[in-house]
Amino acid sequence: MSLKKINGLEITPTHSINQVRYGCTLGAMYSAAAIPGAIPIAHCGPGCADKQFMALAFYNGFQGGGYGGGAVPPSVNAGEKEVVFGGNERLEELIKATLKIMRGDLYVVLTGCIGELVGDDVGSVVSPFQQRGVPICYAETGGFKGNNFTGHELVTRAIIDQFVKDYDGKKEETLVNVWSELPFQNTFWRGDLAEIKRILEGIGFKVNILFGFGSKGADEWKTIPKAKFNLVISPWLGLETAKHLSEKYSQPFLHYPVIPIGAKETSKFLRTVADFAGLKKETVEEFIRQEEKEYYYYLEHFSDFYAEYWWGLPARYGIVGDSAYVLAVSKFVVNQLGLIPASHIITDNPPEQYREGIEKEFRSLSHDVSEEVIFVEDGYWVKKILENTDFGHKPPIIFGTTWERDTVKKFGGQVVEIGFPASYEVVINRSYVGYRGAFALLEKIFTAAISASA
Amino acid sequence: MSTITENFRQKINLKVADCETREQRLGTIIGWTGRASELSEISNKARCGAGGRRECSLCETRGPFTQGSVCSEQMVECQAGNVRNAVLVQHSPIGCAAGQPMYNGIYRNGLAIRGLPVENLLITSTNLNESDMIFGAILKLHQTIQDVYERYKPEAIFVSTSCATAIIADDIESASAEEQEKLGIPVIPLYCEGFRSKHWSTGFDATQHGILRQIVRKNPTKKQDDLINVINLWGSDVFTPMFAELGLRVNYVVDLATVEQLAQLSEAAATVGFCYTLSTYMAAALEQEFGIPEIKAPQPYGFAGTDAWLREIGRVTHREDKVEAYIEKEHARVRPLLEKLQDKLKGIKGYVATGSAYSHGLISVMRELGIAVNGSLVFHHDPVYDSGDSRQDSLKHLVDNYGDVPSFHVSNRQQYQFYGLLKRINPDFILIRHNGLAPLASRLGIPAAPLGDEHIAIGYQGMVNLGETILEVLAHRKFHEDLRDHVTLPYSHWWLQQDDPYILSKHPELIES
Repeated sequence: MSLKKINGLEITPTHSINQVRYGCTLGAMYSAAAIPGAIPIAHCGPGCADKQFMALAFYNGFQGGGYGGGAVPPSVNAGEKEVVFGGNERLEELIKATLKIMRGDLYVVLTGCIGELVGDDVGSVVSPFQQRGVPICYAETGGFKGNNFTGHELVTRAIIDQFVKDYDGKKEETLVNVWSELPFQNTFWRGDLAEIKRILEGIGFKVNILFGFGSKGADEWKTIPKAKFNLVISPWLGLETAKHLSEKYSQPFLHYPVIPIGAKETSKFLRTVADFAGLKKETVEEFIRQEEKEYYYYLEHFSDFYAEYWWGLPARYGIVGDSAYVLAVSKFVVNQLGLIPASHIITDNPPEQYREGIEKEFRSLSHDVSEEVIFVEDGYWVKKILENTDFGHKPPIIFGTTWERDTVKKFGGQVVEIGFPASYEVVINRSYVGYRGAFALLEKIFTAAISASA
Repeated sequence: MSTITENFRQKINLKVADCETREQRLGTIIGWTGRASELSEISNKARCGAGGRRECSLCETRGPFTQGSVCSEQMVECQAGNVRNAVLVQHSPIGCAAGQPMYNGIYRNGLAIRGLPVENLLITSTNLNESDMIFGAILKLHQTIQDVYERYKPEAIFVSTSCATAIIADDIESASAEEQEKLGIPVIPLYCEGFRSKHWSTGFDATQHGILRQIVRKNPTKKQDDLINVINLWGSDVFTPMFAELGLRVNYVVDLATVEQLAQLSEAAATVGFCYTLSTYMAAALEQEFGIPEIKAPQPYGFAGTDAWLREIGRVTHREDKVEAYIEKEHARVRPLLEKLQDKLKGIKGYVATGSAYSHGLISVMRELGIAVNGSLVFHHDPVYDSGDSRQDSLKHLVDNYGDVPSFHVSNRQQYQFYGLLKRINPDFILIRHNGLAPLASRLGIPAAPLGDEHIAIGYQGMVNLGETILEVLAHRKFHEDLRDHVTLPYSHWWLQQDDPYILSKHPELIES
């Protein structure tokens, strides 16, 4: 546990977690459910699947379970019998019944705490089905192994190794696999992935977006090995997958830590990716020109409000959430809006080896802005840190979660719920990234700021 | 009147830290299909026939296919985790803590509809990892209990088990006892690991068991003769105005109560509930241990149920005259309102998919409104409640007073079965509690009224409330019918063609083909 001092506040976290800000490893059920046509099968207790659903997909933007989530996923619902005698037989029976009753293009078995603690051999249950050609794989995602970020990469790897399998054919010159936001955990992943796909296609790529509406599901996953490279757009999530794929299919990867928001960041992002892949410059520049033309048409109109709104706008911000959005949103509001940073709190527990890289990004938020970032997961400390932050003479804007509502009320400011859990936001396909998402974010920030003013 | 089950009735054992599961105490089942009247009859036989310890001859359907359900620990979160100025410590890996956002949302909105200050709940997880599974995690439990004590200075700390900590056999009872000694406040172990019971309602009992053992005042020095314990969830405050007319006050427990409100349970004049599924354990134990009479009557739904329930309250609290005056006044006030609603609801078919006893009550109200109810799905069935008293036989009360329900099913929130049941009945709307079933109904073009405020249908005014709610939800049909025409269900063609949602229970060999 890292110890830090913020404005005289000694931060001394224990293992305890109040105000949870992610699911468990089994929460990666929702990585499986995010693939169109895929159905997760939960080898766990009776309540696990429901908890992950209600947390990640319901009280988080009310995203909904869709085809394979919600109350749909088959579950062993282990009882005393499975704990005492093991759950292999019950799982086998459940898989057979699933194949009879459900209609999935891909089934992903995820183990919970019970199966792993009593030593069920899930591999031996699943492999006969695989040998029969059933599109099914399994991941050992016992909840004590970590959070749903950990689970996401376990599930991704399981699908690649057991379903996509080996490949030594040709690569497609312009095909790219995208690994970015964590589906469902990131409240806005659906809209965001759609925008990322749109802009990459705009400069000439064919995109395997892999999750969400823009993905062709299991068929698209089968084409992963054909991609020329892997594009990781996040501070750290997806790097394990990209490394694995570079070994497995000899695919290089480009790591781009900042999910781009706004024209400046997005154009820079597109140029970097195009350069890496050796795309034709003219196509890329033409797309950027068109997008920027549209972007600045709208920004110009917005500027009347931003330049001369009478009743005051927030000047400082604090931000709490997953490293991906904390970094992306900070970059945008500092560089596009000129907001003054006051507090950056990252709660997705990035693996130790990636933390230095994340800290480096915050030290160069802008040419004249260097910031420190704090890694904590326990909501008790999040609240303490915010309460000990100097936000200046007027209420700040806080980017955070439902957990921050009470704290922000005390400041007299507004919370913009940008991450899990966002229980007072309804999100369908709203995006906060790219050229187009930036405006949704601006609308949200300033509607929140002024609607409470009178 | 309660002779039928005298010999069945077992004493609730508050001497031990863990409470018996529903299936052990009551013979609870989670799968069954038939007519409501049949289930009522065989439940009666099961009660009488056993003549001893919780033998139950109720046949339970069990099939090879199951979808994710709900666990007891979730019910502990939603009760112990929603007590004000107390903290629930979840002794578990982080996945169990994924319940926090949901129960926080419920807590916040529950506080808001009761006019109480809105705040986040304080549930805290011990957040266990892989090495804890190998070496044990009791030290982490001690640390988290100390953390929450220092942080929040609560008046009580609940400690819930999880599947993981039950399997690694952490001794949470000793740890809680040590901390209680050290901190001087109740530290209460709750045994609620999900695999322990086949039905989540055991989690209600586990919470109530802990409260009875360690919070309720053992030797109350005073008696509050006008105080009625109301065992409920987060529902709006409909009991205060109703009881005020009888000169009674309300003590709402468990959700949104303070620790002191829980402590005074043993000082009240009587205990009532809005749903016997929820209240059976606490109410029976309060009577057994402290002599607080449980109101043994039908639940307060519809004219028949509400009349009988109020009269029993009047008898027990010696307010017969006031009760009669109230009944007369309310009948006169509500009847014309109901007639108007009945006109508007003519020809409408409804369906109920909720917890067991609650469904019995709601069907009564729907029939008062003139709505045809030919089917219901309940998440479990208790052939008897803890009092063992036949006046509380909510299913029999429904069948005797409002007629049979021909398509009556027990299914612990199994969406795949719900498909066939809805297809059979084809209702105009459904009433639900718990998430997971309404989304399927929606995809079939059927709107649902989610009864988040569980008090909405209670008493005389409840009939009017429910009627209005149903009219509102019927207007949503446009949305759902449009959706129905544009979605694909995740079920196989074979399953969608089946007429019997329980076919796999009868022919499990079908999964081999």
